Amino acid sequence: MKVLIIEDEKTLAFEMEKFLKKAFFLCDLAHSFKQGFNKLELNQYDYVLIDLGLPDGDGFELLSKAKKSNPDAAYIILTARGKLEDRVAGLDMGADDYLAKPFFLPELQSRMQAIARRKFKVAEELIPLGNFNIDLQKRFVFFEEELIELSRKEFDLLSYLLLHKNRVLTRMQLSEHIWGNFVDDDYDSNYIDAHIKNIRKKLNGYAPTEWLETVRGVGYRIKK
Amino acid sequence: MKLSTKLTLFITGSKLAIVGLFILLLPFLIGQIASNYTNFSLRNQQKKVLQNINKKGIDYYFEGDNSYGSYTMLKDEYIALETVAQTLKLDTIRDTKRIVEQDTIAYRVLSFTFQKNQKNYLLEIGKTTASINLYNDALQRFALYVLIILIALSIIIDLIFTRQLIKPLGQIIKLRLTNSRFPFKKKHGHINTSTQDFKYLDHSLISLMDQINEAFEKEREFTANASHEFMTPISILQNKMENLLTEESASEAVQEHIVDMMKTLERLKKISRSLLLISRIENEQFSKQDEIEPQTLFNEIVEEISHRLEEKNIQINIDLSHNKRLSNINHDLLFQLFYNLINNAIKFNKENGSIQISDHLEKGYYSIQVSDSGQGIKAEDIPHVFDRFKKTGHAENAGYGLGLAIVKSIANYLNLTVEVHSIPGEGASFKVIFEIEQRNNKSIT
Repeated sequence: MKVLIIEDEKTLAFEMEKFLKKAFFLCDLAHSFKQGFNKLELNQYDYVLIDLGLPDGDGFELLSKAKKSNPDAAYIILTARGKLEDRVAGLDMGADDYLAKPFFLPELQSRMQAIARRKFKVAEELIPLGNFNIDLQKRFVFFEEELIELSRKEFDLLSYLLLHKNRVLTRMQLSEHIWGNFVDDDYDSNYIDAHIKNIRKKLNGYAPTEWLETVRGVGYRIKK
Repeated sequence: MKLSTKLTLFITGSKLAIVGLFILLLPFLIGQIASNYTNFSLRNQQKKVLQNINKKGIDYYFEGDNSYGSYTMLKDEYIALETVAQTLKLDTIRDTKRIVEQDTIAYRVLSFTFQKNQKNYLLEIGKTTASINLYNDALQRFALYVLIILIALSIIIDLIFTRQLIKPLGQIIKLRLTNSRFPFKKKHGHINTSTQDFKYLDHSLISLMDQINEAFEKEREFTANASHEFMTPISILQNKMENLLTEESASEAVQEHIVDMMKTLERLKKISRSLLLISRIENEQFSKQDEIEPQTLFNEIVEEISHRLEEKNIQINIDLSHNKRLSNINHDLLFQLFYNLINNAIKFNKENGSIQISDHLEKGYYSIQVSDSGQGIKAEDIPHVFDRFKKTGHAENAGYGLGLAIVKSIANYLNLTVEVHSIPGEGASFKVIFEIEQRNNKSIT
């Protein structure tokens, strides 16, 4: 999968690249409207990440131009402005998703994955996890043939960890994924622990869940 | 009490008091005047008689007799002259009774002795007391009527004038204070008045409002810019730390340090986001076109927040009986508002506590109340609970002190009123009041 990151903050672009590379994305960087435009003319990408606040041009304009040269790509708008109109305008102009800075990198990857499922119709079969099988599309967890009831948030948590398997996710990354960047006047949210506890309790009734690890002082990880 | 009411009461009251006093004094005054006038006319007649005697001699009256008396036809006046003992000396006016042809009649009598031709004479001039007070009632009545008409006229004139005079004050209060809501967006022209004081008041109020707006605008701009400018550096730091965390070389101890740093950064991020949210609300970047059923809204909130309720084992009772639909509102903002209130109700609650959510319908108002069984708020802290970064007391779970500031700015934006009541030790309750649109009243300006 080829990704073009158009972001004028070079450090930020670099960090995104570093993260996505580990998830086996091929990344290309552009730091200005002009660079971005040129790369879009020359290459075909699967994903284009566009920062709205480019120094030499409007991100929306670049989006509409890119849609002509790369009609099949998935577009994600990145912005620090975080205005509601930007989100609406971006989605209206054919962006597939919208992320307000600062966002967590696993979140970016999960959004890209979600677009892939939606847009590229990547048919995912049942994903095995220990003795369980998970259907990400239909949001089911099976033990053999038996359906296990998980709450919406519990399933979100499990599938997010699964998407980033073998990588530790912090409580902050997990809770922002589940509760969004909804403004909350609380900085020590350990509610993730309660949800993990529930997931373990529900699944342990069927089979051991040693694959769901607690990494002390850091967070949680699914090991496969 | 309004100034116009006070003035009306004072003007009417003071004039009525004067009328009352005058009515009380009137009989006495008129009696006095009549009595004095009678005395005066008796003296005049005395003078005339004495002049006549001097001119024409005493015998002109006596005609040989040693006394003279003359009554008017109705006996309401008389003159008498007689010789009296040398020793008698009199010069008085007094009320006395006389018997005239079997009738006892009360007279006011002037008695005067004088020497003439070596003889002592007594002159008496009398006037019936009935005739003295004859016109008193008529006079009194007339004076009263005139007085009442004059007073009524003067009250009417005063009221019309004062009403006209203080009318600009009413306009100023209505336009600048009652009908004007912060931020003062609507511009109104100056009030038309020739009274210097009102002009000054109006101009001062306008300039004060402009100053407040300007300061508010500056603060808003600063908040928006500052929190927005924070986002990029926070972004960079956060993503760097995330990558660092997945670095193979990072030991467990290093990872823990990184997570600690991320926690601190998270705090900064949330503060910036909260401030950004406040400035976005203040910049009116949200539509007001949603329709909301409170019951549905609270179900959503409770689902979102259930983990916190469970953690403290708090019972939440949602008792919304009025089935009211709220219109012209923003769903996300109202969600955030009640989320923050319920979040606080949990945060400051005790273990196994409870939260009550109830609604009330009053004339023109619909309100939803969120009450908790927590530690409550001290009376002296209540005026400051909505201030930014204001944390009262409880350090361990206070958050950033922006939750209620957000509530306040959402309430302002959606034209809601939030009232706080609390009994320290027993709990606090926040009442959110929605004004129900009354279309009939809209034409009244």
